[in-house]
Order: sequence, then C-alpha cells, then structure tokens
Amino acid sequence: MLDAIDKELLKTVAELEGIPKGAYNIRKNGKLLGREVSANINIETNPEGNGIIINIKPGTKGESVHIPVIVSQAGLNDVVYNTFIIGDDSDVTIVAGCGIHCGTSKEQGHEGIHEFRIGKNAKMKYVEKHVALGDGKGKRSLNPTTKVFLEQGAHAEMELSQIGGVDAADRLNEAELGPESSINITERVLTDGNQKAISRNQIFLKGNDCKANMVSRSVIKGDSIQDFYATLDARAKCFGHIECDAIIMDNGRNETVPSLKAGHSDAELTHEASIGKIANDQLMKLMSLGLTYEEAVNRIIQGFLK
Amino acid sequence: MLELKNLKFTSENIDPAGKPGIRTIINDINFTFEKGKFYAITGPNGSGKTTLAKLIMGINEVTSGSILFEGRDITKFSITDRAHAGIAYSFQNPARFKGTTCRDLISIAAKTDNEEKITRLISRVGICPLDFLDKPVDSKLSGGEIKKIELATTIALDPKIAIYDEPDTGIDLWTIEPMVKLLKREQCEHGTTTIVVSHNKVFLEAADLLLIINEGKIIYTGDLNGAMTLLNDFSICNYADIFEGEYNARCYR
Repeated sequence: MLDAIDKELLKTVAELEGIPKGAYNIRKNGKLLGREVSANINIETNPEGNGIIINIKPGTKGESVHIPVIVSQAGLNDVVYNTFIIGDDSDVTIVAGCGIHCGTSKEQGHEGIHEFRIGKNAKMKYVEKHVALGDGKGKRSLNPTTKVFLEQGAHAEMELSQIGGVDAADRLNEAELGPESSINITERVLTDGNQKAISRNQIFLKGNDCKANMVSRSVIKGDSIQDFYATLDARAKCFGHIECDAIIMDNGRNETVPSLKAGHSDAELTHEASIGKIANDQLMKLMSLGLTYEEAVNRIIQGFLK
Repeated sequence: MLELKNLKFTSENIDPAGKPGIRTIINDINFTFEKGKFYAITGPNGSGKTTLAKLIMGINEVTSGSILFEGRDITKFSITDRAHAGIAYSFQNPARFKGTTCRDLISIAAKTDNEEKITRLISRVGICPLDFLDKPVDSKLSGGEIKKIELATTIALDPKIAIYDEPDTGIDLWTIEPMVKLLKREQCEHGTTTIVVSHNKVFLEAADLLLIINEGKIIYTGDLNGAMTLLNDFSICNYADIFEGEYNARCYR
C-alpha cells in the first residue's frame, strides 16, 4: 500500500501519481512493495537477494520501466544492487530515483548501485532523481553509483538530478564505450544549508568513433559544498567533451576538476568549466522584463537546472 | 512624457598618469521625450549615448539631476519598477543564459504562457518560432539571432517607452529595413515612444527627431538633413579624444 508520504515521494522522484503502468519495481524501506513485468521486460530478484535484474528483450521499442525507491523508516540505510541488461536494437526509458522522508533525528540513507549493459545499437534513456523531504533532523544521505557498458553502436542518455534536501551525497558514474557508441550525461545538483555533494565521473572511450558528452550544472547555496570531478580517458579515435558550470550563492564552495586523458593520437577531447555568481547582465535583463531581483535569481536557477 | 532634468553621470577614473579622478560621462542633459514619437540618438563612440539610455532604464544610477516619467519622479526607481511603469530596454549585448529558453523570456515579458501568442511574437521579428521556441538563449545562438530575440522580448512587454541600444548589431543587412518597419509599426499602432541608439542611417532617417550627443551633452536636435554637416565632422579621426587626451594615443591611420 502507498501512503500519503510514499505518494508524495513517488510523485517527486518519478513523476508518478500512483502505481505506474507497464513494468515497474517499487522498493520501500529495503523491501519489495510491488512489481510488474511486461512481455518484453522481465524483473527478478538477483541471486544474492540484495537487488534486482532487469532484462529487456532485444528489439523492445518505446517501453519504459520505473524502479523508484522510498526510504521513510527511521535509521534505515538501504543498499541495493540493480543490473539492467538491455537487449540489442531496443529503445527504452528507465525511470529510477530515490526519495527519503525523514521524520526523526535518526540518519537515513540509500545507496543504489546500478550496472547497465547496453546491447548493440540499443538506446537507453535513464532518468534518476534524488530528493529528501520531511521535518526530521536526521542526516539524509544518498550515494548512487552507475556503471554503464555500451556495446557497438549503443547510445545512453542519462539525466541525473539531486533536487534538494539531501545532506550528503557521494556519486560515482563510470562508463565504458565500445565502437561507435555514445553517451550523454547531464547531472544537476542543488545544495543548500550545510549539505555536501561529491560527484566523481570516469568515462573510458575504448571503441573507435565513440562519443561522450558530460554536462554538469551545480547550484551551491547557503554554506553548502559541491565538488565535481570528471575524467575522459580516451583509448581510441573518439570525441569527448565535458561542460561543467557552477553557480555559487551565499557562502557556497565548489571545486570543479575536469580532466582529459588522450591515450590515442586521434582522440579529440575538450572541456569548459566555469564557477561564479549569477551574471549581472542576466539579472538586469530579467529585471528589465519586470521581475524583482529575487524572482530573477529563481528564474535563472530554474532554467540552469531544468 | 519622459523628462530629463539636469541629468549628470560621473564615474571614477584613473588618468593616463595613474592619478584617480572623476570622469563626467553625461553632463547636465535637459530634454523631454514626447509621447508616441520616434527618436534616434547618435554621436561618436564614447560620447555617452548608451550611458544615457541606461540611466533612463535605471541600469546606471544617476549622479545628479532627475528623471520624470508621466509626471512622476522615477530617478530612484529600480529597473523592475521602471519596467512596471512601462519602460523597456533592448540591450546592445543581450545576456546569454544556460537553460533559459526563448519561450521562457518571452512568456515573462508578455506575462502569458499562451504558445500561440509567444510564437506570434517570435515570428514578428523575422525568425522561425518552431526553430527558436524551446532553444536556450545561450552562446550557441548567433549575434543576429540573439538580437532578434532581444527585440521580441522588448515588443512583448508592450511598453510605453522602448529604448533600443544599437538594435542592428549583428543583424544581416536585408533584415534591417524590416526591423525599422517593425519599430515604426509599434510606434504607430501602440503609440510606443521609441528611442533608438544607433549609428545606422536607416534609423536616423526613420526618426521624427534626431539627437546628437558628444562629450555627454546633446549638441543637436532636429532632422537628419540638418545634422549632416555635424555628422560629417565626426567622421574624422577622434581616436585621441576617445582615449582620454593625447597621452599614449597613437593613431596609425
């Protein structure tokens, strides 16, 4: 059964108004709350019993699978290992995400370790949102790991966001790209108060003519800290780009370290990075359209994290 | 409608010898813009044209003097308050945003999310709404494209006074005439008082009244024909003047 808090969390992290249609697996407080499979998407508990294996048949097109996680039990730190096997030539969307509701002073957390094996010429869109709600003072932590393996011609689109309330996050993203495969990763993180978020990214460009694009957008408010590390490690003729922008407000602090490694003479790697306050010309433009200073700041941040 | 009284703007300055001082950029300007008229402001580089426009919008703070709009003293008004009062400003170098789209900016200006209205506004400035509606207004746009979006946001405000700072910067030659027609139509159909800061003859010709500014003062008001002698005089090299006197000034022409 989904209670009011569950519904709010599901809506926030997976844009679900209730139980989704199609394949899904909802995990609540470390246990299975509900599961549905489809003709082309199978979900089963892994042999270790600490996660699930999602198997998508080759050629599956236009289907989606939702795998949200809810943590509302005081003091629980839920760790889960999920494996996604995406068949050749398929085109699917996976919506993940974790919502923590903290109502006490006890620590709560979730560590989702996701491994994706994307078959030849398959396309996967992965959307992951993390949020923590509730009035409790307990520390809320979310430490996700994603490991993506792309076979020849495969494509992954990954949208990763942490939209508020998370006290500590330590994220690791890894990707290995085969020939002619591509990956676009967009990460958006908003921190406030005394929150801290670290994002570590390692992308190995192993196959000829593979492409990687990593975009990071960070907004750092209050006394919060965000650090972003990204490495493109090219071992073939390939193209890679890192774009990382951080907006600092109040006393926020940020370290951004893009790193490029070319182990092949035909590798083309670029990066652009910026850290700073909201640009004055942006504020003046929006104020000249009638917004107040505060409204202008909010609109700029909304757009930046959109 | 908009009255500038003894308007002055100074900024801190370091002279070529390294001494701090005060530089007067707008020097005691008195002028009244009348409702529904089309004004062009021109003058040499560094004469104070953009500064004057920014003082009217509240982007620069007046050093002394006052600005009255429809009888109200707006000298201390913020940019936001001036926008609400009906003053709009089209920037010479429009801001670029990451993530904020053309739709976002125009919907803020027009105070509507109605897609039909937004697309109509975009198409009025000569760009395809389908191509631009959900495009971020970022560094990927060309100089001309962003200027047209800037123009669309100004028109979307339906202002009482619209100030355009060098609206033709980056615009292709065959789009300038339609742009002038668009501004004239806004003037005629909506009674928009229009102030264009420009060096382009087509805007100077289109104006009901031409103002020439030099060294922070209005030195001429009238039509373009009467200004030609003066404008021809400005076409001589003024490199040394722009760079604060003769110290270190080297003109290689």
